[in-house]
Amino acid sequence: MPAQKILVIDDDAHLRESLAEVLALEGFTCLEAGNAKAGIEAAKKHRPDVVIMDIQLPDSSGFQICQELRRYSKDFILIMMTGRFLSAEEKTQGFSLGADEYLTKPFDIQELCLRIRQLLSRKGK
Amino acid sequence: MTEAPKKRGRLFYKFLFVFLIVSLVPLGIVGYYLVSLSQVTLNKAISRDQEALAVGFADTVSSYVINFRNVLFDAAHLQDFASMDAAKQQALINHIMQLHAPFLEISVMNASGAETVRVGRFVRDTKLRDFSNDALFNKVMKTGEFVGGLEKYMGSYPAITMGVQIVSLANNQGTGVLLAKMSLTGLSSILKTGFPEATHTQAAVIDSNGFLIAHSNLKEIYKPDAKMPEDVLKILLQNDAKTGGGEINLDTGEKVLGAFAEVSDLGWVVYIQRSISVAYQASNEMLSRTWRMMLIVTVFVLFLGYAVSLVITQPIQALREAAIKLGEGDFDYLPDLNMPNDEIGELAHTFMQMSESLKIKTVELMSAKEEQERLNRSLENRVEARTRELKSAQDELIKKERLAAIGQMASVVGHEIRNPLAVINNSIYFIKTKVNAAAAASTVPIEPKIVKHISIIESEIRQANGIIDEILGFARTRELNPKLTHLNSYIEDLTMSFPFPPHIELMKQLAPENPTVNIDTDEMTQAVRNLIKNGIEVMPERGRIYLRTESAGDMVRIDVEDTGPGIPKETLDKIFAPFFTTKARGTGLGLAVVKKIVDRHKGRVEVSSVLGKGTCFKLFIPLVTNNQNK
Repeated sequence: MPAQKILVIDDDAHLRESLAEVLALEGFTCLEAGNAKAGIEAAKKHRPDVVIMDIQLPDSSGFQICQELRRYSKDFILIMMTGRFLSAEEKTQGFSLGADEYLTKPFDIQELCLRIRQLLSRKGK
Repeated sequence: MTEAPKKRGRLFYKFLFVFLIVSLVPLGIVGYYLVSLSQVTLNKAISRDQEALAVGFADTVSSYVINFRNVLFDAAHLQDFASMDAAKQQALINHIMQLHAPFLEISVMNASGAETVRVGRFVRDTKLRDFSNDALFNKVMKTGEFVGGLEKYMGSYPAITMGVQIVSLANNQGTGVLLAKMSLTGLSSILKTGFPEATHTQAAVIDSNGFLIAHSNLKEIYKPDAKMPEDVLKILLQNDAKTGGGEINLDTGEKVLGAFAEVSDLGWVVYIQRSISVAYQASNEMLSRTWRMMLIVTVFVLFLGYAVSLVITQPIQALREAAIKLGEGDFDYLPDLNMPNDEIGELAHTFMQMSESLKIKTVELMSAKEEQERLNRSLENRVEARTRELKSAQDELIKKERLAAIGQMASVVGHEIRNPLAVINNSIYFIKTKVNAAAAASTVPIEPKIVKHISIIESEIRQANGIIDEILGFARTRELNPKLTHLNSYIEDLTMSFPFPPHIELMKQLAPENPTVNIDTDEMTQAVRNLIKNGIEVMPERGRIYLRTESAGDMVRIDVEDTGPGIPKETLDKIFAPFFTTKARGTGLGLAVVKKIVDRHKGRVEVSSVLGKGTCFKLFIPLVTNNQNK
C-alpha cells in the first residue's frame, strides 16, 4: 500500500514545514503549498488523499479552496485549520462547503493522525 | 390676632385740619370784629362816664364855692347888718367863722373902702386896712359881688377871696363890702373822698392858668406854684369845649384816659385822669373772656373734629388693615367694625366680596401650583431615574466597549500566538519521535533530562493554549443562541462528559420538577464547567462537588458547591472581576466568564463562602413558564 499523500496549504512556512515533516514521520507523503493558487494547482496535479488548509490565506480563504476542490473531486479529505476561534456558523459553513474536519491550532499530532486514518478508512482507502 | 399700634393716617389729620379751618376761621373773624366793636363802644361809654363824673364834680365845686358866697350874701343882706355897730358885726362874723371852717378871714368895709371890722382865723393882726384902692373892693362896689382868683394863703394853702356888697334895706343902697378869704383845701378833701385810689386815678381842679386849686392827692396842693403837668395842661388849655375827654399819651409814656369839665362862673376846670388799664378794665375783661371762649370753642371743635375724623377714618383704617392682612395672605381676617350704612359700608362690602373671590382664586392658584410642583417633582424623579439608567447604560456600554476592545486584542494576540505554538508543538513532536527512534536503534539510553524537558515543553504548550482559549472565550462576542432545555438532562449530560478526577466525589441533587430553561447550552456549559473546574482545583486532595438545581420563584437556581478552604471575605467581592486571580497561573477570567454568561441569560450569580468549609456559587436563570414556551 503506497503512502497516502497529504497536501498542506499554509502561508506560514514554519508551520507548513513542521507539519509536513511530522506527518512524514508518521508515514505520510507530504506536499506543501504557500498560497491558495499553488495549493489548488498542486491538488489537481498530484491528487493528494488529504488536503490540510489554513482558513486564512493571503490570496484566498480556506473556504474557497474547499469549495473549489470539492467541486473538482469528491475524493479529497478536506481538513480546515485555524488559530482563530470559530463560531458555529463558520463551522456549519465550512462543513456545508465540503470540509471533513476542523483543526484548531495547536493540535495534537497523534490525534490528528488518528483522525486522518479514520477518515481515510471511511473513504475506503 | 395681635393688636397693632393704631396709626392715624394722613386722612385723619387732613380731616382734623379741615374741621379746624372751617369752624375756627369764621369764628375768629366774627369774634375779632365783635370784640373790637364792643371794645370801642365800651371804651367810649367809659370815656363818657368819666366825663360825666368830671361834670358832676364841676357842679360840686361850683356849689361848694356858691354855698359860702351865699353865707356871706345872707349875712350882708341881713336886715340890720348895715345898721349894726362894729362890735355886733364882729360878733356875727365870729359866729359865721365858727360855723364855717373854710373861712380864713372876714373883713367889713365901709363904702369908702376903710376897713371897719377884721376877723382872722389864724392872723391875730387887728390893724384895720384901707381898701379904697383895692381892685376887688372896687369891683364889688360896682357889681355887687365878686369872686377873686386863686391865691396862696400863707404861701401854700389854696384860697380865694370873695366879696359881697352890704346893702341897707332902708334905701337899698350899698353901704360897704363884706370881704372874705376862704380856704379851698376842702375841695381837695371832696376829691379825695371821690377818688381815694391815688396810684391809677387822679382828680384835680385847676384855674384858667393851670394852677392847682384842688387835687385828690393833697400833697400836690401844698407845693408852691403847684400846677398840672405840662402835657395834660396843654391839652386842657387848648380845648375850648366846656367838657370833654379822651386818651392821652403822657410824657412819661403812660397812657391814660382823661376827662374835663369847666366849673361855671369860676373859669376853673375839673380834670379826672385814670390809667388806661384801670379805666378799660371792663373792656379788657370782656376781651379776655372772649378769648377764653374762643379757646373753649377751639378745644370743642378740636374734640368734635377728632370724633368726626375718627368716625370717618376708622372704617377706612380698618379696611386698610384688612387689605394689608389680605396682602399677607390672611383671607379669614374680617375688619373689626360695624360697617356704617353708607358709601364706606358699601366699600367694605365690596372689599369683603373681593377678599372672598381673591381667596377662592388664591386657593385655586395654590392648588395649581402644588399640582405643578408635584408634576415637576415627578418629572425630576423621572429625569433622575432616566439619567441613572442612562448613566448605568453608559457605564455598561463603556465596560462592554472596553471588554470588546480587550477581546479584539486578545483575539488577535491569541491567533497570532497559536501559529507559533502549533509550530513549536509540531517541532517538539518531531524531536520526540526522532529521539525515541534513535534510542530504539541504539543501546545507549536516552538522557532522562531530555525526555523530561520535552514533556515540560509539551505541557507548557498546552497551558499556553488553555490560556488563549480562556481569553478568547471571554472576549467572544457572538450572538446568544438560546434553546429551550430541560435542566436535569442538561446537567446529567454535562457531568457525564466532565473528567472528574478520582479524589473528587460528585453529589447531585436535581429538582424533581425538571424545570425548563431557555439557555445557550454551549455557553452555560462553559460557565458550569468553569465552576466545577475551580472547585476541583481548590481541592487537590479529597473533596466533594455538590451540583444542585432548584426552582426559586420565577428563577431556577444551579448551585455548584465545593468543600474546599473557602474564600476570604475581602476577596469575595472581586472574584468576578476580569483578570482577578489568586492562582499562581491563571488568567482570572474563569469567574468573569461565568458572570458574563449568566448576565447574558438575564440571570445573576451569587457566591457564599465559609472559610474552611467551602464555597457555593448560585446561578439564577429565568424559569420558562408554560405560556412562554414556543
